[in-house]
Amino acid sequence: MSKVAVVGGGIFRGDRFRYENAEEGVAIAFRDLLDDTPELDPQDIDFVMMSYFSDHLNQQLCMGWIIQDYIGLHRKPGYRVESGGSTPLDAIINAYYLIKSGYYDLILVPGWEWMSEVDTATTNEFIASASDTDWDFTVGGYYNGYYACLETRHMQLYGETIEDLGRIAVKNHNNATHNPYSQWRSEHGTGYVTLEDYYNDRIVAWPYRRMNCALISEGACCLLLASEKVAKKYSDTPMWFEGVGLGTDSMRPGDRLADWAYYGMYPEDEKIYPSTVKKPKTPYPDMANFGSLREGAVTAYKEANIQNPAKEIDLAEIFAPYDGVELTLYEDLKFCKRGEGKTMIREGIVERTGELPCQVSGGLTSFAHPVGATSLMQSLFLYWQLAGKIPEKFGDSTLQISDAEKALTTGHGGTGCQGGVIVYSR
Amino acid sequence: MADEKIKIVKDESTSIYKEWETWARKGNFRVEGYQFIKGPCGPGKIEDAKMGEFMLVNRPHGALYTHSYGLVSKFFKGLIEKTLYGTRCPVCGTTYCPPRMHCWNPTCKVAETEWVELPLKGEVHTFSVMLFSADAFLEMLPFVLAYVQIEGSDTTVPMQVITAPTEVFVGQKVEIKFRDKRMGELMDMYAVPIKGQKVPEDSCLNNPEYLKDMERDLQGTYAYLEKRFGMKKEDIEKRWKR
Ligand SMILES: [Zn+2]
Repeated sequence: MSKVAVVGGGIFRGDRFRYENAEEGVAIAFRDLLDDTPELDPQDIDFVMMSYFSDHLNQQLCMGWIIQDYIGLHRKPGYRVESGGSTPLDAIINAYYLIKSGYYDLILVPGWEWMSEVDTATTNEFIASASDTDWDFTVGGYYNGYYACLETRHMQLYGETIEDLGRIAVKNHNNATHNPYSQWRSEHGTGYVTLEDYYNDRIVAWPYRRMNCALISEGACCLLLASEKVAKKYSDTPMWFEGVGLGTDSMRPGDRLADWAYYGMYPEDEKIYPSTVKKPKTPYPDMANFGSLREGAVTAYKEANIQNPAKEIDLAEIFAPYDGVELTLYEDLKFCKRGEGKTMIREGIVERTGELPCQVSGGLTSFAHPVGATSLMQSLFLYWQLAGKIPEKFGDSTLQISDAEKALTTGHGGTGCQGGVIVYSR
Repeated sequence: MADEKIKIVKDESTSIYKEWETWARKGNFRVEGYQFIKGPCGPGKIEDAKMGEFMLVNRPHGALYTHSYGLVSKFFKGLIEKTLYGTRCPVCGTTYCPPRMHCWNPTCKVAETEWVELPLKGEVHTFSVMLFSADAFLEMLPFVLAYVQIEGSDTTVPMQVITAPTEVFVGQKVEIKFRDKRMGELMDMYAVPIKGQKVPEDSCLNNPEYLKDMERDLQGTYAYLEKRFGMKKEDIEKRWKR
């Protein structure tokens, strides 16, 4: 079976409001890809794998048809992938499967989301309709609330502090100030924030402050995937897929106490459980960890032949809509043992100067989060990283991780209902 | 031939269709207004942006969904009748609240479950203190959102806990109550802490710094509610000061 690589990308940067519409934004991202990939003739593209999350946000079904038509690829086979926040990662993985299996050699993955056509409260409500509307949405929660509940449980079990969540927020926002495509920098400039700024930030859903939560964005990104046969034609610095994995978990987080699909699957993690708290029937994941991401990681590491992810992976772009998700995923991605996520941030391991930098781009809370484009943006950032192109692309070398060879990215939908992992190498 | 008795029988208990008709017409797809706007646009980095001129149109969208609760309708009917139900799997014994009519334990091969009545008691499994929320819930602020494990159930139900926001904790014992006006939805019930419990030393929220910040931002929420809805802090606090 063919090896598969990312051989190029283009971006229409995310911001709170973008007044070009979605098809124009995707076209601009596609042009950016074409400018960067002189050998690419649009006629070479075999398939268009489209990524966007919501039909509600724009009063438009089948927007994929508009996009494919607008960029002149409407003769080609193509379809849309949708799985909540996991949408863009799953689109990449779908394209990977099609190339790996030998069906196609060159696939364009365009992703986008226009999230500001309705007011913020309505945007939150539309997104919350990805939670169970009979059982979760009706009680005044929405994703801030659900995720805050999950983080509270993890905190009670494993003892991370508000300061730990603050350090993650400060790390990610300050990284984003060096990213000239980041929404945080567009809105707030290049000044650094401190823990003091974090403490002064308003609590929205304890334990989360505003700075801990993903942005609402409009933006687009295109990624080009190629088989080994044609990869070198388009890029001198292909980023190879080493392994991919997908996983799922219960729709409702409240059911993860008797989460029988996971029972006995991770006995070591089931044992790491404080005696002070009543143990549910399925102690892993409980409402604390993300089983779907563990499943994805185990599959991806097996394919990539990774034994010790913390040592072998050089940087990670995690799909973390909330900072507690980032901390918890250090554990589920096996960067450390369950319960030790807090030490990853306390010891500076995940800082951009540390051994395993996470969210060097700024991530979902600071880079931008136009849902259908998010993982494409994170993967494009890794493509630039592994090629050593950050100084050239950003006009600032601060974020370049030197000599990075292996990188990881994740996808994350719902409350961890769906997850996925990709390991890339240069 | 189908059995004569197996047919649709609808009750006429709601007049929502008539009331909704005017809303639905207001919510029809059409252009209701427009604006012209100038703003940054174009490809590239933040500093590459140029000014552009755009036209925006306002289009409403409204719809009334008539949704079946399916085989677990009994649970929601129970809420209206102030009774709490769960389901139990006859094969593995797992008790579900929220109920599911088929067991999801892979070893039970989608076994049909049986209804059980549950006590109006439970325990906070985890919580968040909501100081901001989606539009529909703003007037309920501030509130504690918790996942409560009902006594005898193996899973948790989300609901609001009516308590001072600084006094909730994981493991808190609660009583389930029903609101006076019930619509057959989860909001029909809520939890109140059983009296006489102390916040444990090791509760993750039990930290003077955290509580101080919470108090500060609670004031912000009160100020917002007063400005937006004319609500008074004293009246809001009455919800839990009984
Ligand atoms: Zn069963």
